[in-house]
Amino acid sequence: MLIGAIVAGVVFGLYFTLVGLGLNLVFGVMRIVNLAHGDFLMLGGYAAWWLLSAFGIHPLPAAAIVLVVFMLAGLPLYYLVVPRLQRARDSEMLSLILFFGLSQMIEAVTTIVVGTTERSLPGRLLGIGPMIVLGARLPKPWVFSAAVSAVAVLGVYLYLYRTRLGTLTRAVMVSRDEALATGIDIHRVSAIAFGISLGLAGIAGVFAPFMLGSITPNIGVGLNITAFAVIVVGTLGNPLGTVVGGIVYGVSLMLMQTYFSSWANLLPNLLLIAVLLARPQGLYGRRVRLA
Amino acid sequence: MNIRGALAGLVLAASTVFGARAAPAPAEIKVGTLYASTGPFAAISMPAYDGIKLWVKQANAAGGVYVKPYHKKIPLKLIAYDDQSNTATAATLYNQLITQDHVEILISDSGSVLTSVAVPIAREHKQLLFDLSGTGAPFFSKDNPYIVLMSLPISTLWPKAQADFLNDVGWRAGVRKVAILYATNDFTGTHAKSLAGYLRKAGKETIVYDQGVPTNTTNYSVLINNIAAAKPDAVIELGYPGNDIAFLRALQDSGEKFRYVFTLFGGFEMHAVLGGAGASAMVGTFTYIPAALYPYKVNYGPTVEQFHAAWDKAYPPGSGVAWGADGLMGYMSGLVIERALATTPGMSQLDLRRAVFALSGKLDTLAGAFRLNPVGAQIGEMTPMGQLRADGPHAVRPVAVYPPALAMGKPEFGPRSGQ
Repeated sequence: MLIGAIVAGVVFGLYFTLVGLGLNLVFGVMRIVNLAHGDFLMLGGYAAWWLLSAFGIHPLPAAAIVLVVFMLAGLPLYYLVVPRLQRARDSEMLSLILFFGLSQMIEAVTTIVVGTTERSLPGRLLGIGPMIVLGARLPKPWVFSAAVSAVAVLGVYLYLYRTRLGTLTRAVMVSRDEALATGIDIHRVSAIAFGISLGLAGIAGVFAPFMLGSITPNIGVGLNITAFAVIVVGTLGNPLGTVVGGIVYGVSLMLMQTYFSSWANLLPNLLLIAVLLARPQGLYGRRVRLA
Repeated sequence: MNIRGALAGLVLAASTVFGARAAPAPAEIKVGTLYASTGPFAAISMPAYDGIKLWVKQANAAGGVYVKPYHKKIPLKLIAYDDQSNTATAATLYNQLITQDHVEILISDSGSVLTSVAVPIAREHKQLLFDLSGTGAPFFSKDNPYIVLMSLPISTLWPKAQADFLNDVGWRAGVRKVAILYATNDFTGTHAKSLAGYLRKAGKETIVYDQGVPTNTTNYSVLINNIAAAKPDAVIELGYPGNDIAFLRALQDSGEKFRYVFTLFGGFEMHAVLGGAGASAMVGTFTYIPAALYPYKVNYGPTVEQFHAAWDKAYPPGSGVAWGADGLMGYMSGLVIERALATTPGMSQLDLRRAVFALSGKLDTLAGAFRLNPVGAQIGEMTPMGQLRADGPHAVRPVAVYPPALAMGKPEFGPRSGQ
């Protein structure tokens, strides 16, 4: 049971890496907390459900469509919201309030449009039955989703470390003011990062029905809490630290489910408290944290 | 007698005559309820609210409901607030319905969690709570006359059908070891505890796994692996629709086979669970057969077929409102309230209670026999055990298998088919 729980935790954690990755990218670049991140994820799930039910589009091409559409949607949303926020004295706190409101609005509108009934995608689309990984029986869709997460992490890594735009993005992450002083168009860089973040949330949403069973308009809030725990454990503001946070969360959750199942929902909060007390810079962070 | 004495006598006589007359009929009967448009209980709350709305709409289309104390039909006015699945919000809103809106009829939100906060508030204000589907046993006590459970048997009684089934048919089919996995909330937690109690009391099957998980659990793969390690013959999962969908999908993906698999909402919200888990994950599983899926004989109100047709007309398929047990319970509760108003001796809350209790044992509605015990808990409307069979490649149909008096087919144990 122990080995099975650990292996399942790693795979499950890789999916939650994808869930938290975009949230961390936005915090790293813009120093704001997008509390509507989980709701964009939920919208990605509904988009995949709609694309399948209305047009018969498989989740994989649907993921590509969602990625592009959500990235494009992120650009005007950024210019509408973020620059104004950042002109405020306490932009981090204001971002919490504003995106919380946006989260509530998205949930309410989605409820009106699609109702509260659970929606999902047929499991057979990503394969039915178990896959044996290191002796552990894992659902094929989990392995599939974890693989997509790994590709997304690799994509973000290549973007940040192998492209000019990525270099500029990292410069903004280090110091927004210095980046501005050196002539970097910080709004262009940030808008693209915001778009990527929404795109990643959208992809995570496409696979949510396979990982979470089903989606409803209210899943966003819970996912936000988990995603926030993942990125704090990993390191706030460091997108690649999210991998560490995701795996720690996944393994811890599976161990909790195995040995203390009734208490499993305390895990995100326990991890948050433990990391903030013992290592506030996160498991992957340096000693001095800018947040 | 002087003039003053005569006038006093006249006033006394007049006040006696006019005082004896009934109070003037109100322009409307106010029905107050809560619903959860968002949050974890939206899936069971919204259909129930839609059922209540349908009842009010139909009643008003017929000129209102007949209210005996006023000897006339009076329109209903539905006052409903959104508690967003939040118990604190619900508590405030229940208070508002009673103290600000002065509703004559108070109906709780769906399910035990959102009903739990209504029980003490209604009791404190001496307002009868029409408990829609909160089956939690602690709600009912001898010293609280201000509650009646309209639908579903009380949670301590409900699981007896399954325990009897396992001890009888299951035992003969070779079921010896049972695993129970439940969501830790008032409803499924009490249900699991009662079920385990019945099984232990019978002393036949051994419970080899009995674990609770948070109600917001969405991944069951490791839990199923852990259950499989205990080698049970029967696996009973008790949760809300989201739990059941996630569980059934994980079970299918795991490749594990058990002789008997039970989910609660596989029957209660069959269409919703079908949409999430898919037919192949549900075929062969056992569940309770709710009234929405069983053709009870009625002596009051529409049959389930007639109600289903009315429901589809009001909420066409694809409108986002799923047909299922919760909608039926909301509507049926309205029907019983309507009957109580037509027979109540007065409009006080205790008069209404007396009227509802007078209906106990006399009504057979589309939800089954309406029977209350002395503390207001429902002891009729027992849900038969059923099994889901394939109905084409993408659908399932429920077959009642126990008790024999209600059975419409024989149970099939063994590895689940359809995979």
